[in-house]
Amino acid sequence: MAPVMSRVMSRPQPRTALVVLACVAACVAPLVLPDLTFFMRMVMAAIVVTGLSMLMGYSGQASLGQGAFVAAGALTVAVGTTRFELPPLVALLAAPLVAAGFAALVGVPLLRLHGHYLAFGTLALLLMVQAAMSTFDVLGGALGVSGIPPLGVGDRVVVGQLPYVYLALGCLGLVLLLSHRTVHSRFGRGIQALAGSQTAAESAGVPVNRSKVTIFALSAGYAGLAGGLSAFFTPYVSPDSFPALESFTYVIMAVVGGLGTIWGGVVGAVIVSVLLQVLNTVSSQPGLPPTAAPIMQYATYGALLVLALLFMPRGVVPSVDAGVGRLLERARVEAPG
Amino acid sequence: MLKVERMSKHFGGVYANRDVSLEVAEGELRGVIGPNGAGKSTLFNLIAGHLRPDAGSISLAGAHIDRLPPHVRARRGVAIVFQGARLFAGMSLLQNVMVGAHARSRAGLVSAAFRPPAQRREEREIRTQAEQCLDRVGLLELADRPAEGLPLGQQRRLQVARALAGRPRLLLLDEPASGLRAAERTQLADLIRELNGAGTTILLVEHDVGMVTSLAHRITVLDLGTVIADGTPAEVTSDPAVVKAYLGTGADHAAHH
Repeated sequence: MAPVMSRVMSRPQPRTALVVLACVAACVAPLVLPDLTFFMRMVMAAIVVTGLSMLMGYSGQASLGQGAFVAAGALTVAVGTTRFELPPLVALLAAPLVAAGFAALVGVPLLRLHGHYLAFGTLALLLMVQAAMSTFDVLGGALGVSGIPPLGVGDRVVVGQLPYVYLALGCLGLVLLLSHRTVHSRFGRGIQALAGSQTAAESAGVPVNRSKVTIFALSAGYAGLAGGLSAFFTPYVSPDSFPALESFTYVIMAVVGGLGTIWGGVVGAVIVSVLLQVLNTVSSQPGLPPTAAPIMQYATYGALLVLALLFMPRGVVPSVDAGVGRLLERARVEAPG
Repeated sequence: MLKVERMSKHFGGVYANRDVSLEVAEGELRGVIGPNGAGKSTLFNLIAGHLRPDAGSISLAGAHIDRLPPHVRARRGVAIVFQGARLFAGMSLLQNVMVGAHARSRAGLVSAAFRPPAQRREEREIRTQAEQCLDRVGLLELADRPAEGLPLGQQRRLQVARALAGRPRLLLLDEPASGLRAAERTQLADLIRELNGAGTTILLVEHDVGMVTSLAHRITVLDLGTVIADGTPAEVTSDPAVVKAYLGTGADHAAHH
């Protein structure tokens, strides 16, 4: 990462400008967009994928089941507010903590698996969470949990969709800041090291198992936060709210955006979400069969992965970053001083 | 300083180490030699904690360490330079060395998130010290380069710098000269002598017998997993058992070429 860092130091302007532009766009978009549900889902995905991208890109661990932790966060809010009469704000704050705690618990045995085995292990976890949700009445059973109260403090209650969208954007900002600080720290160096060589990392003093569980729990905490927010935004949580396909989508978003970058999760979430929205619009045109939507979605995922691996194997963010770097280098050479 | 007592390790029916005992004094530079398959790497992995002994014990400065995981042994002052590269890909040379400082720093995830003054100070110290370690092995000018794709000699030196960043009391060097050119070997030998002169206890496994005899205070000879000789370089090289098991075949080999 140091070449990236030194590049940032030598040319801070274009990067800062891009980040500011993205922030402004994100703040203005909810005011002009006709469909806030789509935007909210995109921000939720960005929060989840930022954590997943950190888990996969820096520590080298895979997860095909991030939905399990989104579910844990959503259930914390849904069950907490409806059954245990937790104040909504407390339930929202508890959502990432419960998801992270759940991940730490299952992570101890699960993270002994490597590579594909870990990926399938996490997928199995998601399926078990779904099964548990539809079996146990406490978790809503097959009907799910409804009647989740709106977010608020005391008598002041959030009305409409817009405040949730801005709250989610604020959470995304926090999550990005936390990821940045995590990666550029002693702990962050430790997880990057264990992805390179577990044996050498251990001998350098990195507590490998604990570090793996911690980064897994952190990414799960992000997912839980997204789940908690979405439970307020769409006040209904059922086993069908967390399909496996959505967890696969997170992985595709992370890969397309660029693993091992802070912004890759956001960029991947935006690109894939917009693409899916376009596909949805196209496939709901009159005259097309009802199976058009899922078929197009799967085909697009396949095409997207193949294209990304062929042309941008490191993902959009690193490729664009390197491209901009080369352009600036050329400009500096052609116009010295 | 380091005391290995009657340690054994077997894989299936094959003993890689059998009743190995060895005592290294503080500040000593101990050579470990032996033909291929003598159990040298197994011995190192047992001391560093990547393998668990089936029998026997290992103690460091009087405390048993044989049940401790590798990262705790690193905290106790054991550092290892592996024979293979084992570098951290995707990280710069400087960051590779900064990871080495894990053994003697503490900041965790919470302080990474809030960045209190203590964490910032520790980060600055780790960086400064990592730069010093890189300087010591002559790689400072490459600090921001990615670690992958380094030539072998530089990989070895980078590993040494990474080990030094933990300020080890006991440095394990597993065939550090293998694959290096003559000039690089001389450089490496100078570096090892310098580190030992500065007070680091060193255990050096090496195929290059000439290098070991010129560097080590004492030499332990392994063959088929057991210690067959232990003494000064002069004693060991004139020991008939050693000549038979190792140097003899080596001398025959050299004579034929």
